[in-house]
Amino acid sequence: MSQPIPGQVQLRPQVERSRPDFVMITIIASLTALGLLMILSTSGPRLEAEGAARASEMVRQSTFVVLGAVVFLVATILSDRQWRLLTPWVYAGTLFLLVLVLIIGELIQGAARWIPLGVVNLQPSEVAKPAVILILAALLAGAVKVKWLRILQAFALVGVPAVLIFLQPDLGTMLVFGFVAVVMLFVAGTDVRQIVILGLLALAALIFSIEANVLQEYQVKRLTGFLNPGEQTLEINYNQNQSQIAIAGGSMFGQGLFEGTQTNLAFVPAQTTDFIFTAVAEQLGFVGAATVIGLYAVLVFRLLVISSAARDRFGQLFAAGMAAMIAFHVFVNIGMTIGLLPVTGLPLPFLSFGGSFYISTLFGLGVAHSIWVHRSRVPLGAVPSRTV
Amino acid sequence: MNLGWRLFSIGVLVASLFGVLLLRLWFLQVTDIEASLVVAFEQRVRVVEIEAPRGDIFDRDGKELLAGTSATLRVVVDRRLVEEDQEEFLVRNLSALLTIPASEIRRTFEEKGEGARFPLGDQISQSTGISVLENIEDFPGVAIEPVPFRVYPLAETASHIVGYIGSPDAEDLKREEIEENDRVGKFGLESEYDSDLRGTPGRITFRVNAEGEILGVLEEIPPQPGGSLITTIDMDAQRFLEETLVSGVQLARLTEDEGVFRAAAVVLDATDGSIVAMASVPAFDPSIFSDGRLSQEDWGKLSEKAVFNNFAIQGLFPPGSSFKVIVNALARQYRISPALEAEYRDTVDQEADPTAFFSDGELLFPETPPLNDWKDGGHGLVDLSESLAQSVNTYYWSIALEIWNERNLLNDTGVVWPEELLQDFARDLGFGDRTEIDLPFEQPGLVPDREWFELNQRNLTGLVREEGSWTGGDLMNIATGQGALTVTPLQMAVAYAALVNGGTVWEPRIVESVRDGENNLVFRNLPSVANKIDFRPGVVEDLKDDLNGVVNSETGTAKTAFEGFCEADVPDDECAALQEVGGKTGTAEIFQADDPDAEVDTAWFVGAAPLSEPKWVVAVVIDRGGSGGRVAAPTARRIFQYLMGETPDAVRPGDESER
Repeated sequence: MSQPIPGQVQLRPQVERSRPDFVMITIIASLTALGLLMILSTSGPRLEAEGAARASEMVRQSTFVVLGAVVFLVATILSDRQWRLLTPWVYAGTLFLLVLVLIIGELIQGAARWIPLGVVNLQPSEVAKPAVILILAALLAGAVKVKWLRILQAFALVGVPAVLIFLQPDLGTMLVFGFVAVVMLFVAGTDVRQIVILGLLALAALIFSIEANVLQEYQVKRLTGFLNPGEQTLEINYNQNQSQIAIAGGSMFGQGLFEGTQTNLAFVPAQTTDFIFTAVAEQLGFVGAATVIGLYAVLVFRLLVISSAARDRFGQLFAAGMAAMIAFHVFVNIGMTIGLLPVTGLPLPFLSFGGSFYISTLFGLGVAHSIWVHRSRVPLGAVPSRTV
Repeated sequence: MNLGWRLFSIGVLVASLFGVLLLRLWFLQVTDIEASLVVAFEQRVRVVEIEAPRGDIFDRDGKELLAGTSATLRVVVDRRLVEEDQEEFLVRNLSALLTIPASEIRRTFEEKGEGARFPLGDQISQSTGISVLENIEDFPGVAIEPVPFRVYPLAETASHIVGYIGSPDAEDLKREEIEENDRVGKFGLESEYDSDLRGTPGRITFRVNAEGEILGVLEEIPPQPGGSLITTIDMDAQRFLEETLVSGVQLARLTEDEGVFRAAAVVLDATDGSIVAMASVPAFDPSIFSDGRLSQEDWGKLSEKAVFNNFAIQGLFPPGSSFKVIVNALARQYRISPALEAEYRDTVDQEADPTAFFSDGELLFPETPPLNDWKDGGHGLVDLSESLAQSVNTYYWSIALEIWNERNLLNDTGVVWPEELLQDFARDLGFGDRTEIDLPFEQPGLVPDREWFELNQRNLTGLVREEGSWTGGDLMNIATGQGALTVTPLQMAVAYAALVNGGTVWEPRIVESVRDGENNLVFRNLPSVANKIDFRPGVVEDLKDDLNGVVNSETGTAKTAFEGFCEADVPDDECAALQEVGGKTGTAEIFQADDPDAEVDTAWFVGAAPLSEPKWVVAVVIDRGGSGGRVAAPTARRIFQYLMGETPDAVRPGDESER
């Protein structure tokens, strides 16, 4: 390492730069812990009633947590550069899994989404989320100015997994792709005019797909059901109404841990998965719910900071993409439980029961963390000459 | 537009999205929107109660069923699912299906109210149910469901014990678990043990849409069946008692052209206060109440006949001479000699026998008509034992007179008798208050005394004379079971049981135990002692001899009635069983103002057996039955024959001598 030269920008040693993002890790750890607690509180009574061990679902989720931690660690150890090189392989592997799930996936509730791996089921659409962010980051990193051609390429790369996922079918994940792609294009430098045109195209596509019966009836119902909360014929609305009643019951400080009547009495369906936030809001009240949302906000903020601190455009774009993905999941999932948004089946990061999404989220955050520990010494945008 | 700005915009976007979430959560959790959501929820679910099967009522062995519940297939109408313009169509179709007049169905619809869910009509067959389901478009809002239905396999047998169920009244509705459409016990054990029998209803919570259509089941709580009662009733004895009592009534009816005969009989276990059998005439069939379709008119007719009264505990009768046994025991206990009229003080030697008395047929008092023995010319020289056998009125009046004369004084026996010596003794034996048997509507009866007399005189109730004070004459009335003294047959049985069993006044019981749906013991109704009387040695033994004298001595008033107690070819003096039976006849004179000659006397017989080791006490009362010796004693004899293992013969008239 050279001695600092006066008047020149000082290069710090690698060791100093590798200081981990403790804020991010703390947030992940606390949300994960809360998730385990909520899974215990909502699945415990039901499992007991079924004669199973009270904590069995929580224990199962704990194994995913351990796996996720390992994945996070490995993702951090490999540098962002190495991840950029691995990106095509990750992408190809994801496409392979998505095709595989269509072939051998077992039918669960009218949707083939799982690859059974003996003790666990792998959900390739969850794996596809960080993979798509990786490939978009790699693609868009190559150009300073985003031309329409680049946009078309981006949509092609997102489109292939999106179509495969649509065939499963999984509407929510497609929406994640769309949102993440738009955010990443924006960060990559598309101008406002392009964004507006893209937005109009997306709207047209949605209307077309509804009108042309591309979407299944239940998907349309899901999307439009929340607009008529009084319409009770929908199972979907029932779920949401129950969820809202439970959340309303939480009041300011909640009914107390393990005390939620609505969630404990299993009025709220999918309590441990899509509607886990209901349990948080019922048991811990507005204070607890707001704290959880605040933690997500800080996490998104950290990812945006990583994006701005990244040493290259790949890092910038990837971190921004992860921020978009986390933010979208949180907004759509919580919005669904409080009756603000349609039911789309997007899980809540760290809290929802399920291995695939937890591990793939931790993988994405691991890569983002790698970007952080391998970041440049000065914020990238501040030094125009360093722009790639 | 540099990177920092773009990231900043994304941050602002995310912050505002999260802000929207927080705002919505605030409205949901902190403001009062919660309340409106709960209301909305209640409109979205439909809770249907599932009736719990009512518990069974068994006899003492737990074998014979007195009351049970069976699930019957029935038509259930859910008016919420019937459109208004379809209601008439439905009513007509139901009328044809169930062969119930349409007007009646319409009335039921109205009674149950809009949006109610209720069973309609009687049990339907499987095939009728299927045909309804096949043509369900003709029966909108109709379901075929198994509905618990109360059954009384024994019909009129033991009906006053079992009781019946009915719609809740205002008082019932005060109980938290009772709702408007429930059925509650109204009488008998059904009423007394209602909370044990009724169980806990189940509940199905349906999810419904705005039209009330059921979309799915949210929650299903199965009903908890009610507990079963094991009674102390011996069904064979019960049947025999009822049959015999009806024969007794028939016997009384021979001299009567018409009129409602009320009668009651009790068989009490003197060793523990258990009711072995209890009958009341006229009886009814509890199943007429099972589905609540007994019309007001029919109920009125039955009620007029007093079928819904258990006269064994609700009937208040003057006990007549059967009360002399109580006075007899009192006289022995306190060594009370009958007061002698002046003319006999020299001829009757009370030094030799303190109980000696000369009955010349009448007692004379200034300014009152003479008081007569029932036997013209009197019974002659009698002692305490003979006074009971022959039921000598003047003897017991003289006992009362003696108490009255010697009241509050230190008398020959060295004790001070309070004025209410007789009343206190009667109350100790359970008279004048409820026995607290586990049946509803029990009457306390009345043991009159000075306090009661003065209270009624002051308040001009018409129950007592307007002038004058409580006198020895009032006490004399009590001594012969007349006047204002009223008792229930059960009280008589309890008192006699205490006299023969050595002083234990039982709190009678009819339920032995309550068991839950899985036959686990919930509650055991142990025998309970209400009072204990310490008799002087010999009192009980002597009394038993006297009781036997009534049925088994030449002069006994029930001698004729109990003749041939054993098999026809066994003479009475060789009949061992007859030596073990004792009792007392009673004929309470009831004067009817409009027809002084009409025979409206209440016939009594109360007795116990076997006397050496008293087990059964039998009390029989036949209202308007006439002479106790002629009607009630033969009825009781047949019951004793049954209880003692003798061959019961027909109820035939006994001696009518006693008045």
